[in-house]
Amino acid sequence: MTIMENGTGPAPRTDAGPSGLGAYAAGVWAVVGMELRQRLRARGWYIMLVVWFGLIWLVTALTWASWKVQSSAQGDFGGVAGSAANGPGPLIFEAVLAFVLLFGLLVAPALSANAISGDRAGGTLAIMQVTLLRPGQLLWGKFLASWCAALAFLVVSVPFLVFGILQGGLGAGHILVALLMLAIELGVVCALGVGVSALANRPLFSIVVTYLVVAALTFGTLIAFGLGMMVTDGTVQANQVYYKNSYVATGPDGTVDPSQPSGQPELPQDITDQNDQFACYGPMQDQRAPRTDRVAWLLGMNPFVVVADAIPYPDRTSAAQQQYAVGAFESISQGARSAQAGPEATYQCANGKVAASYLSPQAPLWPLGLGLQLLLTAGVLALAWRALRTPAGRLAKGTRVA
Amino acid sequence: MEAETEPFTGLAAVGISRRFGAVQAVANMELHAPAGEVTALIGPNGAGKTTLLLVLASLLAPDSGTVRVMGIDPMKEPAAARARIGWMPDTLGVWESLTAREILTVMGKFYRMPKGRLPARVDELLDLVNLAELAEQKARVLSRGQQQRLSLARALIHDPDVLLLDEPASGLDPGSRVSLRRILRGLAADGKAVVVSSHVLAELDEIADRAVFVNAGRTVLVQTVGQAAAQGRRYAISALDPAALAAELTRLGVSFDAGKGRRDSVSVALGTEAQGAQLLADLVRAGVAVTAFAPAAGALEESYLGLDVEQR
Repeated sequence: MTIMENGTGPAPRTDAGPSGLGAYAAGVWAVVGMELRQRLRARGWYIMLVVWFGLIWLVTALTWASWKVQSSAQGDFGGVAGSAANGPGPLIFEAVLAFVLLFGLLVAPALSANAISGDRAGGTLAIMQVTLLRPGQLLWGKFLASWCAALAFLVVSVPFLVFGILQGGLGAGHILVALLMLAIELGVVCALGVGVSALANRPLFSIVVTYLVVAALTFGTLIAFGLGMMVTDGTVQANQVYYKNSYVATGPDGTVDPSQPSGQPELPQDITDQNDQFACYGPMQDQRAPRTDRVAWLLGMNPFVVVADAIPYPDRTSAAQQQYAVGAFESISQGARSAQAGPEATYQCANGKVAASYLSPQAPLWPLGLGLQLLLTAGVLALAWRALRTPAGRLAKGTRVA
Repeated sequence: MEAETEPFTGLAAVGISRRFGAVQAVANMELHAPAGEVTALIGPNGAGKTTLLLVLASLLAPDSGTVRVMGIDPMKEPAAARARIGWMPDTLGVWESLTAREILTVMGKFYRMPKGRLPARVDELLDLVNLAELAEQKARVLSRGQQQRLSLARALIHDPDVLLLDEPASGLDPGSRVSLRRILRGLAADGKAVVVSSHVLAELDEIADRAVFVNAGRTVLVQTVGQAAAQGRRYAISALDPAALAAELTRLGVSFDAGKGRRDSVSVALGTEAQGAQLLADLVRAGVAVTAFAPAAGALEESYLGLDVEQR
């Protein structure tokens, strides 16, 4: 920004600082510094941190205790269950991660959504607008400050995630990816909160709206996906399914008697594809199936799906391993990816092929979901930027600038 | 006052209109605040003073009309204009958990002041508004008057050429009012254009060089304080013996009526200050024991009341 030289007034005394990007960043940092200083002096933030620490501790302790009980019960029966054998690490890690994300989604709007509407109510917004600060600097500064405040909650929960890792079964890569994705999700919610707060006149209203947006992302996407699935009801070319192990006759002592007629129909002749459980046979027909691939993007916008899908897990398609997902996050990821793959890949015997019970790592869903979240955030922030421009052309009803 | 093309040193606003929905807050207002003078903006509540100041401070775009801040159009070059404008809002608006020094420092940063000079400037302003001892106190614990002074210092941090003060005297104790007057006169003497809106009209007589009277969104009168003083005003006269005073006034042929004040005084309309001096001399010469002889109202208050403004 250049200040025009002009004949009538004295030379400006305020334009001695660096120009261009440096000056822009300096303004942003001035806002961040001021905001953080105010936040560090607010007692509520510390109380929330302590409550947060206590809650995560409780979740970790309960998860660990429940694993203890389970593993000892399994020990009594002499069985070695898969999850118990792996140690409580993945269980604790997932439980803590899920709760950190849940609490983070609950806390972040409170930290961000009164950033600008609070200033507006307190009469301090116009004081900043009348300076050389530009709307973008104000938004960046408020966003970065609220993000920092939210990240403190993540930092507090790191010991518990590390505890989960130390219990074995997971690598350090998990914790890094998980923390990164949590940080990004908190950032998205903080940015949404700051954007909404610039559009609203009252702090209460902007906080409620931000919570509703978070609820829409968390629950609304699930509901919309469910409804969308019904709307996009389509057809898929598929033939008949033969269930190989659907029915096994057992003798009185619990053993399978091969001589007994099992009632199992004969294996059909025109099998197009089969594995040890299913066989596909017969001519292709149009089968009704929800086209989940058309609405999977809705599911992808869910913060839990984004985090779960981004965390790496081993490829379990090889026959040597169990062909089902282990852990909640992996299940979420698999569910979302199968929705994305659509009926062509998941409908049993679509195109005469046996559907894999476990999808091989394909194009992940989270980049699309995160991209859509960022698009939404950018849209809200663009509107916020418009609302903060001065001299203001249009004002919302009942707004007082000062 | 001056043609659009002529350079005008100070703040000039011509034909400003602004509508909020159905309410025409400001209609064709005009204000000229020359550099080196204090201009008072006077009008009843809801007259459009704050809206006009928001337009002048480049926060609000007018529906029509032009503003020039030291020749700069804030609509076209808001940054250049803002570097020259200092604005003190009528709402206090302080960051409660920051100290006075921190508030002034961060405002300096917002105005892109060079880092090296900022601490000295902050100290200077804290001294100016008499807050040096409270510099490390959080704004929350400051009294209303102290916050008001901090707000003034905040508007001055970048040494603006044009100062817009919305009700700066409200909430100030008498001592602070005197120092506010001193500060504003000092700024005007430094060549700044100062615009003050206020209800305390007697106060403005001492501060302002000129006044712009607004009512119902319009500029209704522009005059200098000298003009206001010369237009004739009412004097309140009290004497030890009210009967003797009344008798002497009757003898001198001066029409009077009972004063409105609590004390036993009469009110007399006089054209000029010279006539006032003459009347006082006559009364004293006639042996009336005059105890008080003073303008019943300030010069600007006289103008204001003469306008018969309506409140809305």
